[in-house]
Amino acid sequence: MKQETKLLAVGVTIAGMVVGCGANTNTNSTTPNSGNSTNTGSAQTVPQVQLNFLQNKPEVVTQWNKIIQEFHKKNPNITVKQVNPPNTDTELQADVAKGQVPDIIAMGADATFIQMANNGIFKSLAGRPELAKVSPSYTKMLEAEVGKSTPFALPYTANAVPIIYNQTLFKKYHVAVPTTWNQLIAVAKKIKAAGGTPFYNGWKDSWTIAVPWNALATNEEPANFFTQLKANKTSFTKALPTAAARMKQLSSLGNSNEFGTDYNDANSGFANGKGAMYLQGTWVLPVLRQANPNVKLGTFVFPATNQPSKTKMVSGIDSLLALANSGNSTKEQAAMKFVDFLLQPAVATEYANVAGMFSPVKGAKMQDAALRPLQSYITAGRVVDFADHYYPPAMAAGDQYESLLQGALSKNQSAKSILQQMDTLYKQSAAHE
Amino acid sequence: MFRMRLSWAYIWMTIPALGLFMYFHTWPTLHGLMYSFTNWNGFGPFQWIGFSNYAALFKDPQVIHSYLFTFQFAVVTVILVNVLSLIIALALNSKIVLPKTFKALYFMPYVLSTLVVSYIFNYLFSNVEPSVASALHLTNLAQNILGTNWAWVGIVIVACWQGVAFNTILYLAGLQTIPEEVYEASMIDGASPWTNFWKVTFPLIAPFFTINMVLAAKNYLQVFDQIVALTNGGPGTATQSVAFVIYTNGFGGGELAYQSANAAVFLIILILIALLQVRVLQGREVQL
Amino acid sequence: MRNRNHRNPLAIGFLVLGAFFILFPMYMAIMVSLKNPQELGQSILGWPRRIFWSNFPQAMAATHYTHAFENSLFITAFAVILTILTNSMVAYAIARNMHRRFFKYLYYYFFAAMFVPFPIIMLPLVRQMSHIGLADRVGLIILYVVYGISFNVFVYVGYLRSVPMELEEAALVDGAGRWRIFWGIIFPLMGPMNATVGILAALWAWNDFLLPLVMLGNPNQFTLPLMQYALQGQYSTNYSEAFASYLMALLPMIIVYVVAQKWIINGVTQGSIK
Repeated sequence: MKQETKLLAVGVTIAGMVVGCGANTNTNSTTPNSGNSTNTGSAQTVPQVQLNFLQNKPEVVTQWNKIIQEFHKKNPNITVKQVNPPNTDTELQADVAKGQVPDIIAMGADATFIQMANNGIFKSLAGRPELAKVSPSYTKMLEAEVGKSTPFALPYTANAVPIIYNQTLFKKYHVAVPTTWNQLIAVAKKIKAAGGTPFYNGWKDSWTIAVPWNALATNEEPANFFTQLKANKTSFTKALPTAAARMKQLSSLGNSNEFGTDYNDANSGFANGKGAMYLQGTWVLPVLRQANPNVKLGTFVFPATNQPSKTKMVSGIDSLLALANSGNSTKEQAAMKFVDFLLQPAVATEYANVAGMFSPVKGAKMQDAALRPLQSYITAGRVVDFADHYYPPAMAAGDQYESLLQGALSKNQSAKSILQQMDTLYKQSAAHE
Repeated sequence: MFRMRLSWAYIWMTIPALGLFMYFHTWPTLHGLMYSFTNWNGFGPFQWIGFSNYAALFKDPQVIHSYLFTFQFAVVTVILVNVLSLIIALALNSKIVLPKTFKALYFMPYVLSTLVVSYIFNYLFSNVEPSVASALHLTNLAQNILGTNWAWVGIVIVACWQGVAFNTILYLAGLQTIPEEVYEASMIDGASPWTNFWKVTFPLIAPFFTINMVLAAKNYLQVFDQIVALTNGGPGTATQSVAFVIYTNGFGGGELAYQSANAAVFLIILILIALLQVRVLQGREVQL
Repeated sequence: MRNRNHRNPLAIGFLVLGAFFILFPMYMAIMVSLKNPQELGQSILGWPRRIFWSNFPQAMAATHYTHAFENSLFITAFAVILTILTNSMVAYAIARNMHRRFFKYLYYYFFAAMFVPFPIIMLPLVRQMSHIGLADRVGLIILYVVYGISFNVFVYVGYLRSVPMELEEAALVDGAGRWRIFWGIIFPLMGPMNATVGILAALWAWNDFLLPLVMLGNPNQFTLPLMQYALQGQYSTNYSEAFASYLMALLPMIIVYVVAQKWIINGVTQGSIK
């Protein structure tokens, strides 16, 4: 075994290290990426490449494995290993601290991505032919988030935050699809009065609360909210009283065990008819169908306001593709090959379809009937990015503000108190920047 | 004992170990203390900022709450584990059927992975507990306990399920050192079982009590695995332990330096508790 | 009242009740792992109408079980062997020189380190280990061996104090060196303590979660608990498969325990009361 010889070697060199290392460990703080390649597999004669692929969506692990296998068949010398930890952000930060950044990363365009892109963790894709294969508007969205005009990632799928509903139950309760907030609440109350559960919330996992919060907050935020916020000219308390109050309404019309139901439990419960509406993004559709192949699902735009013509749909980049700035050209080339494979219209179409997503890849087609009511919003550009992509990193990373909402809602605190806590957290996190 | 010249062999037996220990344990400890005086987020440049991190800690409700939760959890669990395991040890030490089987069974949870055990309990709390409770019309328990204000009790239950094993075995070892004659003598005096326990049994196993307290306190103050698997710190921040906050925010929240300061405070508190316990130990004149 | 001639019904009743609480989660785990999702939706605790063994091979494939098992075994085996060989030696040198200031302080130094909580070491350690290229299985083994010194020296020294010096002195007069005395006489004499230290090290290395979590970046090297954590999302709503993998993660330790429970219980007891 190679490991054993390594162990021996380590034993021999350790004495030297102890003496010598006092000096050189001080230097670790300024090099963001020491590019060390301690991975096994370098001794073989055939240029075998192993790529670590970190992706943050538990819903599509199987689909990724399938894609990886197909890729491996065509490129037998490249092995791609998928990793899908529960707290991808934390895991990725730990990997960066270790200098073992995964070679390819598929993640949301969230605060962690922005922070890392700004710190040179990812390879710049400027001038790459791959950029021409994707919709430029989503590439621009990524650049806007990072705040630099360098493309650090390619958009691969776009999601949307609608309300998902069970068509069978809507028929049973004789309710129609609502287009305004007041209609939504009326529908929910009618369902509740008939003994049903209007919203099936899986809020034991705090991130799930962020989904309706984004839909409500983005529609209420005034223009240039974040610049104003940064300049201390506005606050969550001033700007978002309605969003907070409506979150409380959604909570009160949810299942009684909503804070004891986790994402998986909620998926399986909603798919099996335990609630009429589900406040989740389109990414959940494949999981729901897997949990109950017979469920009849529909979607409608989240009616966050009372003026349907003004309501915007939250849509963000669900998965972007980023490459590690590893300095190892063999690995980087192999990783780029994998990316090229993914950008073929057929692969992108199938993935987007399985994932319940819209595809920014040119030539890919949307095939999911359940998503059709949302397509016109995407086409017309009546979409707005997730608000929390613009929160300071320390506020969004590690589920900080999501936990805050979860704590406040579970204790049934007032809307005012929720917003005050958001303000405190914002100030604290902004100070860490 | 006749005094010998110090053999070089002894030096060679210890120096490498000392070196490795300093390099892999003391050095990172000092390094952590150093980070705590900077504003470094784990990558990128940093500045020295003196005691600012420490000052901010004492005003950070999340951090303060994590200490309160950790102490509450540790105190309750230590007491519960010790009481339960003492009772179980007394039962195991009495005249029973299948003593070996019971002993083996009661110790089994100790050898299992805490993380996996917690995953099993997570399902039990979310899918079995509510349905059993509503079938029994116990409406208070019809919700997953991990999603309520009582989430910490769920974590205590899991910690006890596993933790009782170890302490039981220690108490049992203690009880088995008590010779039969001691009881016979006290029975002749006509003592009741209750006084018997407090006057005879307990003083004799007091050293084991102290060991159990020390070890349990050390373990439960650093609770981590159970939290990750059961609540991930929720609902809200209700069940975030100190170790959990240091890990999650230190790596994930870009607060490496700030959480290093938190870890330093945690170190000082743990040392104070350890000193206090050693005091109590000496007071009892028990040999550690 | 304690009566040695009659069985104690109260104690037996209590123990049976306790046994129920210990076994219940295990029973539930087995029941869940043997069903398919449809039947699980109807009944969690009931006996399965049809047993779905296929959950197990599926879970094995999904969690790369054999790989994780090998990693856990590799790490645990080397951690245990190296811990016993090195820590006993350190303890011997300390125990025989406690009258000298250096060794006495060394003893207290190791002892004091026991109270340093892992979280403070964690953040810098990860950087340090990756800096020297040891953020992997080998590094993990080194850490188990080195961190074990604190507690193990304490345990070994307690035991060595009760080992009489005459044997060593006789061997010394015969011209044997310290090394030969240690490996030829003392190390075999410490058999029971070696077993204790080995068992505790094995339990620690096998079940540990936090250290592998922060240390291992390459999924090829993940241990069983870490693999369970990293692939939680994989099961999605397929709880049966999840529980099949939980049971398989617990099984090796349960088998070892059933075979060697007397040793393990004695070992753990010895380690704590010495």
